[in-house]
Amino acid sequence: MSQSTKLKSFFVETGAISKFTGWFFHEFLRPRFEAREFLRQCYIVGYKSLPLVGLTGFIMGLVLTMQLRPTLVNYGVEARLPDMVSLSLIREIGPVITALIFAGKIGSSIGAELGSMRVTEQIDAMEVSGTNPYKYLVVTRVWATTLMLPILTILSDTIGLYGGYLGINIRGVMSMDLYVNEVLHTVGFSDLLPATIKTFFFGFAVGLVGCYKGYNSKKGTEGVGLSANSAVVLSSILIFIIDLVVVQITDLLGFN
Amino acid sequence: MAKQIINNIKLGIFVIAGLIILVTSLYMIGRNQSYFGNNITVRARFTNVMGLTKGNNVRFSGIQAGNVKSVHIVNDSVIEVAMLVEREFQPYIHKNAIVSIGNEGLMGNKVINISTNPIPAPAVENDDLLPVKKEVGTNEMLETLSTTNDNVAVISQDLKQTIKRLNNSAALWNLLNDTSISYNLKISLLNIRSAAVKVNQVATGLNTIVVDAHNGKGTVGTLLADTAVATDLKQAVNHINGASAEADAVIARLDSLIGGIQKDVNNGSGTVYTLLKDTATTNKLTNSLDNIEKGTAAFNEDMEALKHNFLTRRYFRKQEKAKKEAGK
Amino acid sequence: MDASQNTIISAKDTDNEPVLAVRGLKKAFGANVVLNDFDLTVNKNESVVVLGRSGSGKSVLIKCIIGLLEPDAGSVSVLGQDVLSLDHEGLDHIRMRIGFLFQSNALYDSMTVRENLEFPMRRHLKHMSAADAEQRIKEVLSNVGLGHTIDMMPAELSGGMQKRIALARTLVLKPEIILYDEPTSGLDPITGREISTLMVEVEKKYHTASIIISHDMRCVKITADRIVVLIDGRAYATGTYEELKRSTDEKVKQFFE
Ligand SMILES: Nc1ncnc2c1ncn2[C@@H]1O[C@H](COP(=O)(O)OP(=O)(O)OP(=O)(O)O)[C@@H](O)[C@H]1O
Ligand SMILES: [Mg+2]
Repeated sequence: MSQSTKLKSFFVETGAISKFTGWFFHEFLRPRFEAREFLRQCYIVGYKSLPLVGLTGFIMGLVLTMQLRPTLVNYGVEARLPDMVSLSLIREIGPVITALIFAGKIGSSIGAELGSMRVTEQIDAMEVSGTNPYKYLVVTRVWATTLMLPILTILSDTIGLYGGYLGINIRGVMSMDLYVNEVLHTVGFSDLLPATIKTFFFGFAVGLVGCYKGYNSKKGTEGVGLSANSAVVLSSILIFIIDLVVVQITDLLGFN
Repeated sequence: MAKQIINNIKLGIFVIAGLIILVTSLYMIGRNQSYFGNNITVRARFTNVMGLTKGNNVRFSGIQAGNVKSVHIVNDSVIEVAMLVEREFQPYIHKNAIVSIGNEGLMGNKVINISTNPIPAPAVENDDLLPVKKEVGTNEMLETLSTTNDNVAVISQDLKQTIKRLNNSAALWNLLNDTSISYNLKISLLNIRSAAVKVNQVATGLNTIVVDAHNGKGTVGTLLADTAVATDLKQAVNHINGASAEADAVIARLDSLIGGIQKDVNNGSGTVYTLLKDTATTNKLTNSLDNIEKGTAAFNEDMEALKHNFLTRRYFRKQEKAKKEAGK
Repeated sequence: MDASQNTIISAKDTDNEPVLAVRGLKKAFGANVVLNDFDLTVNKNESVVVLGRSGSGKSVLIKCIIGLLEPDAGSVSVLGQDVLSLDHEGLDHIRMRIGFLFQSNALYDSMTVRENLEFPMRRHLKHMSAADAEQRIKEVLSNVGLGHTIDMMPAELSGGMQKRIALARTLVLKPEIILYDEPTSGLDPITGREISTLMVEVEKKYHTASIIISHDMRCVKITADRIVVLIDGRAYATGTYEELKRSTDEKVKQFFE
């Protein structure tokens, strides 16, 4: 009984999210364009997330280098450390960790913000003052997350690679020039492009799920908390699923 | 309002920083992989590319010069490799430059090496086909070595039988009257002798290598210690040792035989005649001599190959040096 | 009991020209039937107070009128247009002429007071100059006595102040019909009276019609031209303040005690 209702509610939710997504594609290219709100969201979603994302990126690069080092030293291929670090950072760890941090910071804040706007009837108020709240709130935020996460990821990768450089120099010596050269030599288009493309999807998922959860928040403070929480959980899961799908596709296309 | 503008400026800086990094890194990667810029294409045809793929590096005298653009099969024994080479290298690469496939490091990727040929030739042009050099691998070397062993074994078998027959028949005078045969025989004997000396040299040389390898000395040692290669090598050395011993014995016997025959002829008696009636035996003898000659030639070739192989090169150089010093 | 038996027809000095008419409105949330065959007419220049117990469906009623909720049955006609059959654009158009004060204020808490008031204007009065808009904002703010709060965030204001800002936001477009959901709740008696007077002034000045939902009998007394008592999802009784106050019906009497 409860099993079947759970299953039912799962499909209901999936259907609702799909509809919500469809609504996005229905609205996102139609005027009017809320340029100011979009820029404001980009600022909040992108610029304001940079310190957090940068810090985690830096630590990831540093830690990854220090963790990989002993193994590579064992095999006598310590010189390959920049290759390993740059490949793992750029292909997988950079995009996924950044997206997860982003989901935690932005997904939850969008969920909570729209949730409380729903609960305090601000969304209704927008609607009666002639603003399409979906356009004003959802479209701008989804665009902002979709476009800002790739930039955050690129910056985070860069900072992470710098962390890797420091990590190498903690125990060994390698000049910046050599490090950069090695990294550029190792990383190819087929590493950078799929990794960058998938961050657009990550950003889209985070924004859309946050908005969906907030927009359909249940009444009360509990509902708001729940929206924020489930936005993070669901978008994190989606990030991994998208990652899986992207890796299959790039594999099929022969980019791996 | 003012705050909004400041925020937008910060956002702009943020976005532009991200885009600049993305674009420059894409450009640098592209340049590294010779996607942009000034390149020429040169081609080379191999029978076996040993796992070379698109994107592998191309080096000219050890300098990174480009990468492999494509590898495609022309027919069942010809594989054409097209390489993108930066235009700045064009004046230095000549039409007769030699292309070979090598390894990047001990377990690295395949790499194409373009090396200069001392014979002068005009500079390459776009879409030129360059000659290739066959790289001798350890396996191939060991293979030739073992074929040689087999040949030597067969030859010595033949020799043994022939000698038995010869021993059983004293009628060789007619044979010895045939000056060309006796001349050939003498030459062959000389060849066999020098071959035997060489075999001995190789055998001792290889022995030292193998011993060194077992003791784990040098890079060769690291590579060979406890590997199948070492065992193969050891076996090869044993074979050669056996062969040279046999060859020695053959030579000693032939020496005495010839001495005997000469005596017979001098005395104007003996049974050489009977033997020479048996044309089959004569044929066999001639064949054997041919074989010995061929075997010696093959052996010489193997020796040359060995000299140029990276494993044994060092040993031979040392030998030469030692010789020189001894000469002084 | 038939509602019409308790209906006391009012004879007020309005221009008997209906600007808003609700007919046979039905709305249920699952098994919870909130509105059941509700009728209401508002004439030009008329202020109608809807009285009803908590949870009787007053907020649901005015949300149905403005198209935030879709009724299960019935018709809603505002300014001669059928709200239920309008598409999004048409709805926006008609909403431009209706002011709506939310029970919970619904101030945008990420925006300053000024931006809160600007928000409906930038939509509806696209061709208004910045200076005129600023002028309008200052005017309505001083009407509710909060001119000094223009650059504050809603969170920095008290509940009553927020209510007044929300009222200002409703008035800023000078709508033809205003729907007030408890305009004086949470205000002290003095401010409550000031707000009620302001509402009457606005009605006179701009000839607006309004529906007022209120429990505050002082406010009802000042603002109501006519009162509709909402019980069991129907218009149980209708009349002026005085008429209903004299009513002998138990259910109606309760409101005036
Ligand atoms: N979105 C909704 N979903 C489900 N039920 C609702 C919804 N909105 C209102 N209701 C129900 O409709 C009924 C009427 O609610 P409404 O908000 O109209 O009451 P009200 O008359 O405005 O009361 P109050 O004076 O307390 O504001 C309540 O029982 C409420 O539970
Ligand atoms: Mg209510």
